[in-house]
Amino acid sequence: MFPRLTFLGAALAAAPFAFLLPMLANAQGTAPAKPGESKSAPALPRDLTGIWEPVRSIEGIQPSGALNMPADGKPEHDLHFTPYGLEMAKRNKSSNGPNAVASTEENDPAHVCEPQGFPREELFEVRATQILQNPLQVVMLYTYGRVWRVIWTDGRELPKDPDPHWYGYSVGKWKDDYNFVVQTNGTDERTWLDNAGRPHSEDLRVEEVFHRVDHDHMELSMTIIDPKVYEKPWVALNKLQFRLKPATTELPEMMCSPSELAEYNRKHAGPGAKKK
Amino acid sequence: MLRSFISPTLALIGVLGFAPLADAQGTSQVVPSKPSTPAPLRDLSGIWLPKIGAQGSGAAAMPADGKPEHELPYTPYGLEMAKRNKSSNGPQQVAAVDENDPAHACDPQGFPREDLFEMRATQFMQTPLQTILLYTYGKVYRVVWTDGRELPRDPDPHWYGYSVGKWTDDYTFVVDTNGTDPRTWVDNAGRPHSEDLRVQEVFHRLDHDNMELTVTIDDPKVYTKPWTALKNVRFTLMPPNTELPEMLCSPSELARYNKTYAPASKKK
Repeated sequence: MFPRLTFLGAALAAAPFAFLLPMLANAQGTAPAKPGESKSAPALPRDLTGIWEPVRSIEGIQPSGALNMPADGKPEHDLHFTPYGLEMAKRNKSSNGPNAVASTEENDPAHVCEPQGFPREELFEVRATQILQNPLQVVMLYTYGRVWRVIWTDGRELPKDPDPHWYGYSVGKWKDDYNFVVQTNGTDERTWLDNAGRPHSEDLRVEEVFHRVDHDHMELSMTIIDPKVYEKPWVALNKLQFRLKPATTELPEMMCSPSELAEYNRKHAGPGAKKK
Repeated sequence: MLRSFISPTLALIGVLGFAPLADAQGTSQVVPSKPSTPAPLRDLSGIWLPKIGAQGSGAAAMPADGKPEHELPYTPYGLEMAKRNKSSNGPQQVAAVDENDPAHACDPQGFPREDLFEMRATQFMQTPLQTILLYTYGKVYRVVWTDGRELPRDPDPHWYGYSVGKWTDDYTFVVDTNGTDPRTWVDNAGRPHSEDLRVQEVFHRLDHDNMELTVTIDDPKVYTKPWTALKNVRFTLMPPNTELPEMLCSPSELARYNKTYAPASKKK
């Protein structure tokens, strides 16, 4: 039996070698990107439909945390925590970043198959993503976790006192023909923002801007706004570039399985776990 | 606080009646009372609510209720597989502490169990090449290719298999699936399947507001003949602004629930 990507996905993410995954994912059906794509036809107005993949795979994987603010120890990437936020950050023990702990000490909830939630879905393991539209919704189909997410476009407002949900509550508006702005609240503070364990509270607001550059290209920017945890908003993604894939592209299946994870850890975690 | 917590935990103990809890999470059960108009042609798009609840005792048309007419025709190989699946439902049910339902440990429940247990409001979306199903349970999607491709001949196993669909007439959409993962159970009673499983779903749109689903299981390695798992299960079209609740399995929630409630269950 061919080794399952689901197993590898969960296990390697836990191991933190997730950056090895793109070629494995491609092997399961995602067609390789065509080199040299440049001049593209204009895009249809107010339309993001299609299958989109980060132009550079590693920029989607984001193993060290949000692409625009990696936890790499550089002063310009230090986040401005509130005292409350700093306490939250200390509780999140990641095996990535300058404060990395040994893999036996880490407590990444996604590594035990908790839903990784939003916005981490776009700040870690961003892979081929299909976008669908109907008159009331934009729907995202993510590869990682095989989850869908609804963005309401019928003019409704964000809920004022939302119950927390793993993937929050999202509404979107077209600012012009090529810029789609999405606001999200109601996220679940048990989730991490990114692979470096940046925390958030239930007051988190996320703003995504999808900018369709031309027919074949799109950029995604994301701002994190959480005054309980961060003294000021910060930019997690700054024009992450996506390329349109053929409409026949098959998204690979990447699902976390506790039984696969247990099997992997049983086989590999023994001596290796002590090396760190 | 209403969280996804309730879904895996109540599934674990085999409770049938938690539809009201799920509804409290956002699905409004508005059923149109006016006579329905004809359906659009070759179109299933919309949010559909099945008129059955959780299929706690197994596939609705073949529950594991001990009745002779619901005995499945196992092959010897299939019978061995069936014995290994220990469900806390059905006539061969075991105590909760002895069951080994993979979905109760938050493994993906996979297909066809997605249709045969906890089928709830399901959104259909169509593109020129695909019909896409957004399931409530597990917040998982499934792609049915409609571009004329055939099923793969030697598919790698996947939790949700590989599906192709064709319209046999303007109101009947037939989906064939293979490439499923034999680690998953067919239904909540632990009916097994092999990698050779073929599933056929027939979605028949009756009119604008109503649809029926029939599901047939065909796995000659496990069953001596095909059997009908769902027969004309009725779905009603929901308003397009219906919010599907979020039901995701969380190992930590499950552990907390079991810690709180399992001791009492164990004594049963």
